[in-house]
Amino acid sequence: MSAAVSRPVTTVCLMGVGGQGILLAASVLSEAASADGLMVKASEIHGMAQRGGSVVSTVRFGERVHSPVSKRADYVLATELLEGHRGLRLLGDGGTLVCAVSTVIPPGSVLRREEQYPADLAAEAAARGVRIVAVDAEALAREAGTAKAVNVALLGAASAVLPFAASSWDAALERAVPAKIRAVNQRAFALGRGAVADEVTQAG
Amino acid sequence: MLSNRILSCSDELLQDSKRTNDRPDGKGAVNRAGMDTLFLMGNEAIGYGAVRAGAGFACAYPGTPSTEILETAATLEGIRAEWCVNEKVALETAVGACRAGVRSIVSMKHVGLNVAADPLLTLTETGVNAGLVIVSADDPSMASSQNEQDSRNYARFAKIPMLEPSDSQEAYDFVAEAFALSEEFDTPVLLRSSTKLSHGRGQVLQRERVEPPQVEYVKDITKHLMVPQWARLRTRFMLERLVRLRERAEESPLNVIEPGTVDFGIITSGVAYQYVKEAFPDVWVLKLGMSWPHPWRKIAEFSGQVSRLAVVEELDPIIEETVRMLGLPVIGKAAIPADGELDQDMVCEALAPYLDAPAPERRQPVFPPAQRLRPPAQAEDLPVRLPVLCPGCRHRSVFTALKRQKLAAHGDIGCYMLGADPPLDALDSSLCMGASIGMMAGFNEALGRKASAAVIGDSTFFHSGITGLISAAYNEAEGLVLILDNRTTAMTGHQGNPGSGVRPDMTEGPSIDIQALCDGVNVRCTTIDAKDYGAIVEAIKTEVATPGLGVIVAEAPCALLVREKSGTVLVDDERCNLCGLCLAIGCPSIVPEEDTVRITDSCTGCGLCVEVCKRGALTLEPTPVTGGVR
Repeated sequence: MSAAVSRPVTTVCLMGVGGQGILLAASVLSEAASADGLMVKASEIHGMAQRGGSVVSTVRFGERVHSPVSKRADYVLATELLEGHRGLRLLGDGGTLVCAVSTVIPPGSVLRREEQYPADLAAEAAARGVRIVAVDAEALAREAGTAKAVNVALLGAASAVLPFAASSWDAALERAVPAKIRAVNQRAFALGRGAVADEVTQAG
Repeated sequence: MLSNRILSCSDELLQDSKRTNDRPDGKGAVNRAGMDTLFLMGNEAIGYGAVRAGAGFACAYPGTPSTEILETAATLEGIRAEWCVNEKVALETAVGACRAGVRSIVSMKHVGLNVAADPLLTLTETGVNAGLVIVSADDPSMASSQNEQDSRNYARFAKIPMLEPSDSQEAYDFVAEAFALSEEFDTPVLLRSSTKLSHGRGQVLQRERVEPPQVEYVKDITKHLMVPQWARLRTRFMLERLVRLRERAEESPLNVIEPGTVDFGIITSGVAYQYVKEAFPDVWVLKLGMSWPHPWRKIAEFSGQVSRLAVVEELDPIIEETVRMLGLPVIGKAAIPADGELDQDMVCEALAPYLDAPAPERRQPVFPPAQRLRPPAQAEDLPVRLPVLCPGCRHRSVFTALKRQKLAAHGDIGCYMLGADPPLDALDSSLCMGASIGMMAGFNEALGRKASAAVIGDSTFFHSGITGLISAAYNEAEGLVLILDNRTTAMTGHQGNPGSGVRPDMTEGPSIDIQALCDGVNVRCTTIDAKDYGAIVEAIKTEVATPGLGVIVAEAPCALLVREKSGTVLVDDERCNLCGLCLAIGCPSIVPEEDTVRITDSCTGCGLCVEVCKRGALTLEPTPVTGGVR
């Protein structure tokens, strides 16, 4: 908990497609930061959020946080590949993108062939000096029991790079996830965390 | 330096009556065009003025002191006049009529403008088509009202122009000015009256009828359908329009400087102008006939003409605040009462002590700098992802069926606005909660046929669609109202409403039956299952062919609440020729491939795509009931 002292404000943007559970993921992340003893502010988009449009939630934490929003992010967690591309634009050199790269939901304009789904996330990230944590969150969610848990599987992956204690994440899942769907989400979280922790260990 | 006043109405009137006085029938003088000079109440003058201005549609809810405006219009040729159930519906109905291409005027008392504020504050973004004039009659001193309100606040709030006549002749003349302004600037225009104008009488010299320009209705959702992406652009239009309107106010012949012979100036508007002229015939006067937005340079110029400046206005210190904002010393509500009606004695008494008081030190006006607008959003190099109707939303059937008819479709607030997006493209407009039915009524009445339909959700219908329906029924409007009943307030997160009967604590109260409600107000109503596409197509076809007003209630629960996968759609790649019929329903679960379509996991098996496919390339395989997680 003492880790909170003198840490600057960190901005995490959670990005995805309406209906993917961005609000729930943001809520778990906020609870985790709070359990870690940090001040947290969050900004969400409601109303249209379940209707398949682009959705962004911002969570900011640190010793002292004033504004709930920021145009720049330190971390972007994207539950869909195109939204990951969108998220890159919020990240600067040294930023981290945790992206569900296997989840591709083409928007209407792409389906109608008016626009192109972007290619090559890795190259663009490299050009921007952004570190990518690529996760097959959909497979992990399925393994946990429901494809709908992409959001929490991705959050599990992000937990391996975000600076909170494991116990804070556990407490956050307990607080923010409704009892009815908690077990499956705890499994998805663990699988996501394991996948990235392995990767980080191998790389190290 | 000084503006020449346009030939004063009263001067012209005097000349005319000298020339042709005393007709044997005692009906008063006849002017050069052979038209009667009438002795009219301000409200009657507005009614006559509307017809003279070429208005073809008038509506209102009665309220003292505004009532006689519509009553007068109803007695005149060439204009359809009707009462609506309230001021909100009246404004929405007038919006529909002006969209259809007919100059329209809607009148109400000041408190009625509160009721109409919801459509007004978005109408200022969409603008009009043919001109639209809103008359609000204030009642200072509350001769017949529960409160005092200064309607000028709404002009400022809505960022629209206001004209303020000061006598019956101006009431008559300003209506045509208001319509011209409305069309030139694509804005609703407020015309403010007050009790003494509305219920005072004076001679009115009739003028040549104005032939309004022919205006066609053109579908343009970027202008008429105020979802966030378009409303953001229209907000910018509205703010830029306000700047142009201020420039117009600087030059408008309605804003007149009348020179005086004593070193004292008064800025005034509306009926207060008459009290000023009677109390102080020798002072300089700046009369603001166009009283919003204020002409800053003209006010500063006027201030420079005199050593001492006062503002005389009934109710709120609206002009006074502008003068003070310009940094100019002024006598305002410190002398003139802020409540109740004024009269010449009150004005005389209030300002007399200041006439010989030492002049304040002269100051240079300080003009506000131009407002900064947000820079236009840069188009992103990534595909946009707009909200869409959910996979499995059975109300998609209604939009698909509606598109087969050649009808304009007035939409409403909530999920069903998403029917406007490509490829559905099924809606023309959306203004505010409950506006669709009133707009449909006005649109169809203006064109004299069933030219448009209204599309509204169940919760929005309960919010304020019911009043629109009753108004349309009362006025025998042609129309087709589609109520898409998903038994919840879906867009905000599935709250209860009187249809579902669900309360915030999730207990169930009584449920209101929309079919029974329509039966109760004697409106033809058919309730159908939104899952039955064939029945929807038939019902809409039948309604369009049947004269009068009809309602179709399409029932299907919100797909997000049901969340069931009732089947799997299989694609026969041999039969599919990628004709696009299934893609046109706008379902995000259907993805075009090279020469066939693919159905994604998000498909709920609703089967609409199977029904629209003409080649039998799609089949629905029902899911056996398992009760498992999908």
